[in-house]
Amino acid sequence: MATTTTTSGVYIHVIEDVVSKVREEFVNNGGPGESVLSELQGVIFFFFFVSEKIWETKMMQAGVLSGPIERSSAQRPTPGGPLTHDLNVPYEGTEEYETPTAEMLFPPTPMQTPLPTPLPGTADNSSMYNIPTGSSDYPTPGTENGSHVDVKARPSPYMQPPSPWTNPRLDVNVAYVDGRDEAERGNPNQHFTQDLFVPSTGKRKRDDSSAQYQNGGSIPQQDGASDALPMATLEGDTLCITFVGDKRVPRDFICSSSKIPQVDGPMPDPYDEMLSTPNIYSYQRPSEDFNEGRTPAPNEIQTSTPVTAQNDVIEDDEELLNEDDDDDELDDLESGEDMNTQHLVLAQFDKVTRTKSRWKCNLKDGIMHINDKDILFNKVLCFPFPQLSLELFWLTIILTLAV
Amino acid sequence: MATFELYRRSTIGMCLTETLDEMVQSGTLSPELAIQVLVQFDKSMTEALESQVKTKVSIKGHLHTYRFCDNVWTFILQDAMFKIDDRQENVSRVKIVACDSKLLTQ
Repeated sequence: MATTTTTSGVYIHVIEDVVSKVREEFVNNGGPGESVLSELQGVIFFFFFVSEKIWETKMMQAGVLSGPIERSSAQRPTPGGPLTHDLNVPYEGTEEYETPTAEMLFPPTPMQTPLPTPLPGTADNSSMYNIPTGSSDYPTPGTENGSHVDVKARPSPYMQPPSPWTNPRLDVNVAYVDGRDEAERGNPNQHFTQDLFVPSTGKRKRDDSSAQYQNGGSIPQQDGASDALPMATLEGDTLCITFVGDKRVPRDFICSSSKIPQVDGPMPDPYDEMLSTPNIYSYQRPSEDFNEGRTPAPNEIQTSTPVTAQNDVIEDDEELLNEDDDDDELDDLESGEDMNTQHLVLAQFDKVTRTKSRWKCNLKDGIMHINDKDILFNKVLCFPFPQLSLELFWLTIILTLAV
Repeated sequence: MATFELYRRSTIGMCLTETLDEMVQSGTLSPELAIQVLVQFDKSMTEALESQVKTKVSIKGHLHTYRFCDNVWTFILQDAMFKIDDRQENVSRVKIVACDSKLLTQ
């Protein structure tokens, strides 16, 4: 095949190279066979050329291309009937090639919202989801009958997880609860606090809030964990998986909508905290070569943000947990934009240097995806300069002159 | 031999990954074979970029974020200007991910 320097030419070359090199694995040693390999190649071409075709159309509309790019007939194999789609229309997922939906990836649990917990003393022994939390100190009427019902009536701050692997019919707590009830009768001052079905997410504060539970009637429970149910949608040629309610919020924030009063520390606004702890480091050395494997040590970092002083009192409570060390705003932005077709450059670096506020990066062998275009390069010289440092630079000049 | 998996995040890499995922889900392909295909893709892509591409590009922009972790540089540039041969592109925000080229030769 003649070598081409166009992007699509290189892609075609790569696809054919890959297919030819894995052919042996497919055909020999009991592999799936040549037909599967052809299907793989065809589908890759299909996926790729759909996006290519849209790009070509846009470029033609923009007047950049006079006509569609000529491609040889060998580059569009049609392995079967289902793949003969008209590439002139936007891609619409068919049954065969439809991208997996959220239901396929994350099968819905039988119980998205838990059953309302019964009144203490009225529930039967076969009810599901016994959550043994709390102690006998709680004002729960009906304790004298010795049933384990109180336990179910006391909701955990960590709601039942809607994950498929949890089997609500499996009452693993019966034996435990029975034992606990005996201990309860014998030792009323003993405290038992155990959440057996605690879903773990990174940003939850673990607090024993069960002490504040007030008993009364059927307790409505909202399953906050289901807020983060992923939804997969196909946008163009990109599979986007978004989370409903995609801003990660501390657990207590979600649970605050329930009617269970909880006494807790002052509730800091999670977004203000994220904004007040920026992820910016300023080095004091004049020139650095970052080619060695060196990551900044914490004691060398100077955060030049006066805003953090305001949140010192609030942050003291959370310091132990180090919850907000990550810059969530930045992470959210990055992850959110990754799902959409963000402008992206993937490459290898030869050298990255910095002189005061001026950075120089020598990159090579990379793929750029910018403005809905794929551009391949052999060498890139990158000159980013930080905005903040520029201000500091001017400030330094003014101070020096003043002196 | 070590390979860079970063090219799997490109358009063509995502096409391949999605295709392989569907085939593995449907049982047409075994996961081991799918991984072999991806590794071969990494090698072929790296080799193709070395040998077949001659474009030189220059990028200038405001550095919003830089990160160096596990020998991977990640930059986020704002208001970046790309000079590609004789044409120019402007983007409001671009993410640059770069792996250490010396790791491949080790």
